[in-house]
Amino acid sequence: MSRLGDAVSGGGTPPEAFVASLAGFRHMNLHRLGALLRHHSPAEAWQVVLGECPSTGLISRVLAQDDVRAMWRRCAGERPPAEVWQRCCDLGLEVLPYGHERYPAGLLDDPLPPPVLFARGNLGLLAGRRVAIVGTRNATAAGREAARSIGHGLAVAGVHVLSGLARGVDGHAHRGVLAAEGEGRPIGIVASGLDVVYPREHRDLWEATGNCGLLLSEAPPGVEPEAYRFPLRNRIVAALAEVVVVVESRERGGSLITAAQAVERDVPVMAVPGPVGTRAAVGTNRLLCDGATPVLSADDVLTALSFQHGRSAVIAADLRARPRGNDIGVYRVLRNDPRTIDGVALALGISLVDAAMSLARLESAGWVAQADGWFECVGSPLR
Amino acid sequence: MLAAVRSATVFGVEGRPVTVEVHVSTGLPAFQIVGLPDEACRESRDRVRAAVLSSELVWPSCRVTVNLAPSSQRKGGSGLDLAIAIGFLAAHGQVPVSQLEGLGFIGELGLDGSMRQVAGVAPMVAAMAEVRPVVPLANFREAQGVAGEGVRVARTLREVVDALNAEAPWPQPPDEAFEDDEPPPADLADVRGQAMARMGLEVAAAGAHHLLLVGPPGSGKTMLAQRIPGLLPALQPDISLQATMIHSAAGVRLPAGGLVRRAPFRAPHHSSSMVSLVGGGSISLRPGEISLAHGGVLFLDELGEFAPSVLDGLRQPLEEGVIRLARARASAALPARFLLVAATNPCPCGGGAPGACECDETARLRYLRRLSGPLLDRFDLRVGVSRPGVDDLLASGGGEPTVVVAARVAAARLRALDRIGMVNANIPPAQLDALAPLHPEARLRLRQELESEKLTGRGYHRIRRVARTIADLHGADDLVLDEHVLMALNMRVRLSVSSRERAA
Repeated sequence: MSRLGDAVSGGGTPPEAFVASLAGFRHMNLHRLGALLRHHSPAEAWQVVLGECPSTGLISRVLAQDDVRAMWRRCAGERPPAEVWQRCCDLGLEVLPYGHERYPAGLLDDPLPPPVLFARGNLGLLAGRRVAIVGTRNATAAGREAARSIGHGLAVAGVHVLSGLARGVDGHAHRGVLAAEGEGRPIGIVASGLDVVYPREHRDLWEATGNCGLLLSEAPPGVEPEAYRFPLRNRIVAALAEVVVVVESRERGGSLITAAQAVERDVPVMAVPGPVGTRAAVGTNRLLCDGATPVLSADDVLTALSFQHGRSAVIAADLRARPRGNDIGVYRVLRNDPRTIDGVALALGISLVDAAMSLARLESAGWVAQADGWFECVGSPLR
Repeated sequence: MLAAVRSATVFGVEGRPVTVEVHVSTGLPAFQIVGLPDEACRESRDRVRAAVLSSELVWPSCRVTVNLAPSSQRKGGSGLDLAIAIGFLAAHGQVPVSQLEGLGFIGELGLDGSMRQVAGVAPMVAAMAEVRPVVPLANFREAQGVAGEGVRVARTLREVVDALNAEAPWPQPPDEAFEDDEPPPADLADVRGQAMARMGLEVAAAGAHHLLLVGPPGSGKTMLAQRIPGLLPALQPDISLQATMIHSAAGVRLPAGGLVRRAPFRAPHHSSSMVSLVGGGSISLRPGEISLAHGGVLFLDELGEFAPSVLDGLRQPLEEGVIRLARARASAALPARFLLVAATNPCPCGGGAPGACECDETARLRYLRRLSGPLLDRFDLRVGVSRPGVDDLLASGGGEPTVVVAARVAAARLRALDRIGMVNANIPPAQLDALAPLHPEARLRLRQELESEKLTGRGYHRIRRVARTIADLHGADDLVLDEHVLMALNMRVRLSVSSRERAA
């Protein structure tokens, strides 16, 4: 065992390598890892878990347990720091132990700071304005649309959007951000290792977030998304955000954990109201009853961030070709409610073909969008 | 002491001639049927004996052997009862054997000697082309529809025996002009609003394009589908005969005229099994719903609720117009060229306008995933149906009546038939440019759709066929215009959640 320790500590391995390896040990949790790194340097901590260096307090008590000691020795054999380090380098990850010069400042005085963070992308984004958008994985169509449009609006205004890259609200918020192509970028905070994409259908989103935004995780590469990691991940989302917006949440949802963590950290919580009795809105409506600020659009969030945002620039920048002739009437009809072709034809008393022609022109100019046979007005691309 | 009688059985939808040989001899009293009879056929021993005795004829204690030739083929059903009884009576000398020449006997016997209706008379009669069929009275129209004049009918075994013994004339077949007893098809005038869906029906009927109606519950999908048969032209004589054979073989009630002349409408429930839908069964290979819909409409309501394996079973017949059934002992090809019309909700809650849907994303995805991609692709038309608005319901007078629309459909069909002799849905891709040339504007629109990936390669050909049909309905004979293509595109709603997610 001592031979192994010598081999790795002698080869010019950076201290972060030891931390990256230790973070992946079984029976290691953030309290234990935090204590280890508070009392020892990373290389020394490595010696401690191998039992080659004495420790005190929590760690000595933990190491007194036979099973933990045996498991850690085994993990040390399975996870040589040099290999773990190589893996992080291959994936282009930064390893940020607590106290590292690039460690996010917002987490330094957190009640439960991550002992180490793995990052991919632009860490500088954490210096910008940041809003978290979270919510249920089983969102309704209205919830998905709200997440998307708030994410879109924030990104256009240059606000970065934090989320968990989960199905439903999280994913749609980030899709809205990516579609905006504005100054605001997506920041994804995930529960698994940064090379373990979960859910799998979000691989494209995951890559896009890493490439043009920032991906953060407390877990080293290769770690599966175990259930207990999600609530812990939520605390980081809450800690890094200036405002937490909950779009939809069931009565007991993970997003309510994020909200609670935000309250604990004095981060304002905002919520999007939903219909009474809809399962997906029970949690958010409860938050509103408890005093959360209601959100109807990105503007409300921007107001909470004390942004100045006039309408003039937006209107001036709308480059879409103006509807002409009959199309104006068709567009007006759709402004109130989404309609089918029949509905448009009936409302205006025109033929189906004329209605279809107008709608096709409006769609190609970007004024309306079609889904499942329904036509809806879409906002200006900048709003 | 030997007699041979002509009869027939049904296999699939085809009749097969059977010669019933009866031998009566002295010996231990017994009654045996050989030649691979099924259970119903073997039980005819007891029915025949009782019927003979009830008809005041003699059943002596003797040894009776019945052979159903060709004896290597399985025979099913009760249609051989009459032939066996007549064979016995001839072999026993109660009826002159010479009188049986040129006659074929079909019918089930009751214990009281009455003759009962059987299924499959039409194909059986067709299989005995060279003889005059004797059938139960209730099967007369059906037999006449296939064999023309010369069909003999009887109500009881006794009547047959008396006629053969020349003691009484053959009973007169009913000669009152049969009036069409089918209820008139549902009229399109009953449908309020729904302009898009109406057009969908019209195009489906004119071009034989399979149609999927997508809409919330209560929007009238079923009501619309039931009106398609009224739009279809009367069946061609050959199709009419095939349909009659199928209906007869399946034992489905035939119209009073004896022949199926109107396009059938079949709407099996979504709990239907694979065999009930495509046909099958171990011995007789009974036709299923898709064959019964031959020449007409197969309507599948709540498409997503059908078992996926059942739906996948439809794919091959949809392509070929015939279902090939194979079993260990037999195989058969049954005609099954039908217009597939299906209805589905857009999502589990029924949904409707954007924002009205209460389903969560996972549930919606799961629901749409049940409709397999390959099957969805076979619908040329996927039309959204919305609940009629208040204005629609209150509007005075209905829409266009079926008669008017059916006339347009017939004209468009004629145009297509004159062009290539087939309906537009079957135009091969290679001939599209020749038969459905595009106006430059129409070509531009299709190019844009393809480039923006709203349209796939497979969808492209289908859109062009549908556009051809729309042009035919508008009386445009040569070029397919932009507006025709546009309407075709609008009648192909994307069932989107899954595809949009993938594309995003």
